[in-house]
Amino acid sequence: MSVQIFFQMLVNGLFNGSIYALVAVGLTLIYGVLRITNFAHGEFLMLGIYVAYWAYTMLNIDPYLSIPIAIILVFIVGVLIQRFLVQKILDDHPMNQIVLLVGVSTLLVGLAQIFFGADPKSIHVPYETEVFTLVGLRFSIPRTVAFVASLIIASGLFSFLQFTKTGKAIRAVSQSRAAANLMGIDVKFIYLLTFGIGAAITAVGGVLLAPNTRMIPSIGSGYSVIAFVVVVLGTMGNFIGALVGGLIIGVVETFAGFFLGSDVKIVASMLIFILILLFKPEGLFGRKIG
Amino acid sequence: MIDMAIKSSNGFIDKVMRYILNTWERTQLVICFVLVVLIAMSPLVIRSPYYIGIIILATLYAYIGITWNIVAGFTGQLLIAHIIFIAFGAYTTIVLQNKFGISPWIGLLASGVVAALLGVIVAFITLRYGLKMDYFGLFTIALMTALRSLFLKWDFVGGGIGMWVSLANTSFANMIFQHKEPYLYIALFLVVLGLFIQYRIYNSKMGRYFVAIREDEDAASALGVNTALYKTIAVVISATMAGIGGGFYVMYVTFIDPNQLFNLGLNVEMVMAAPIIGGLGSIAGPLLGALLNKPLAELIRGFLTVGTSGTSLIVYGTFLIVTILFLPRGIAGLLQNQYNKLRIRVYGEEKG
Repeated sequence: MSVQIFFQMLVNGLFNGSIYALVAVGLTLIYGVLRITNFAHGEFLMLGIYVAYWAYTMLNIDPYLSIPIAIILVFIVGVLIQRFLVQKILDDHPMNQIVLLVGVSTLLVGLAQIFFGADPKSIHVPYETEVFTLVGLRFSIPRTVAFVASLIIASGLFSFLQFTKTGKAIRAVSQSRAAANLMGIDVKFIYLLTFGIGAAITAVGGVLLAPNTRMIPSIGSGYSVIAFVVVVLGTMGNFIGALVGGLIIGVVETFAGFFLGSDVKIVASMLIFILILLFKPEGLFGRKIG
Repeated sequence: MIDMAIKSSNGFIDKVMRYILNTWERTQLVICFVLVVLIAMSPLVIRSPYYIGIIILATLYAYIGITWNIVAGFTGQLLIAHIIFIAFGAYTTIVLQNKFGISPWIGLLASGVVAALLGVIVAFITLRYGLKMDYFGLFTIALMTALRSLFLKWDFVGGGIGMWVSLANTSFANMIFQHKEPYLYIALFLVVLGLFIQYRIYNSKMGRYFVAIREDEDAASALGVNTALYKTIAVVISATMAGIGGGFYVMYVTFIDPNQLFNLGLNVEMVMAAPIIGGLGSIAGPLLGALLNKPLAELIRGFLTVGTSGTSLIVYGTFLIVTILFLPRGIAGLLQNQYNKLRIRVYGEEKG
């Protein structure tokens, strides 16, 4: 493999990984604050994709311009799910939480099949296959946009959590629900906000994928699995870990796709997942458990 | 005379009631027995092959539900993508028949063995290292996704196109029948077998260990229960039974492909819905749940008449959500409340 191809694949991998990172950031945020594993996470990405599709076909809006629409709509969906479903089982046995979220996931996929049809859909934009060349490497326009947008949104969210009062409240709740409550933080409100943000940021990942993806209602489950792998790799609840983990998995998948064929590249992520679960279940950024 | 007859018959009814209501387990067995008899007699009343088909699938889902109940209900291990064992079983039976001409009856047993091997591997990788609940669930989903990719690429088993049962030679040896009734009785036999195994496990020392692991794994371990061993046993028993169910599934639906089988939607419908709605960890739960679910889902699908697979996903998703929010112990939990009241009336307060 020449140096040229190596760097080209590295770039492709990082670009793919940026979407994984975005989806994983949403998952890790929800886990860090609410302490539940969101088994319906990929469905928020699916909603984002279909918002872009719907905005493009019905309103003729460029997919990238539908990002604000997706953020608002999916934020509302996330808040409703938190308010009426997840909130009620936060103190339940994990089995109940997971079954409920599997139910939510199933319901959302079913609704998408009814509203958008089970057959694959796609958006065709003029810049879909356009490429520009820089230092001998080829950059696809949609993927470059996705990469840059992911980084901007992730750093925006990071600054929000780090520097604003609400962001600090969210971090306080993730450290200790009881202590945050005593400090006068409205924990229920923080939960609503967190679930909404986690869902919305994942939906942005979906919108960014829209210009060159075959959309099917069940697309979310694949991304759920990858997000789980990323989050476990980067330590559950760790923001930076999710970003780094996403990029790592993106690169690994791209190289695995090159050597094994793109159909079985998921097997490589799977292998990483098993190895981490066995030898470093606390993830790259975690302290040893137990 | 009449008074005495009533009195003696009352005495008889009273005795029967006392026998049935002696323990909740026995009451559940009686409920199961009644349901099994009703299923067995249903072809006498129901002639339409369409409705018989629904009953067959409900019966099969009850059996699959029982296999999941052993690992998820008794032992508390969240083996979400249980459908991988069903898929391995289905592929084993159909590959043996289509490629080697081996009768599905032997194929079913082979399916059990193959699924058991997969179960051993899954248990070995995960449970030995004490994977926590959600991590274990994630692991099974990731494994399912990887297996789907591999099966899609594997031309020997038809790749993405899948495999068919050749319907040309109907015969008992080929497990291909002209009418639906024989399928119903095979499925019902599996349910009876499943109920028997489930009850034997429930009442054994091993079953107590399973429940101890579910209730508090650390405490069970501290009391000397080899938790890794018993979790492995639960997974392997459950996988074996699911593999046999998968073998029957392919013979009945006659067509499988990786996208349809390694699929979380089908997993919810086939594996999780019945035991959860019926009451996870109870004896009668999977059977109760499956007999309610499947017909109700078909009924609602008929009402909505949208005609895509989306409706059944909506129905099962809603079922799961509603059950967890409003009826966390399922139908069996609801019945148990009635049982407690009835038992007090029959036995009097002192024994209730």
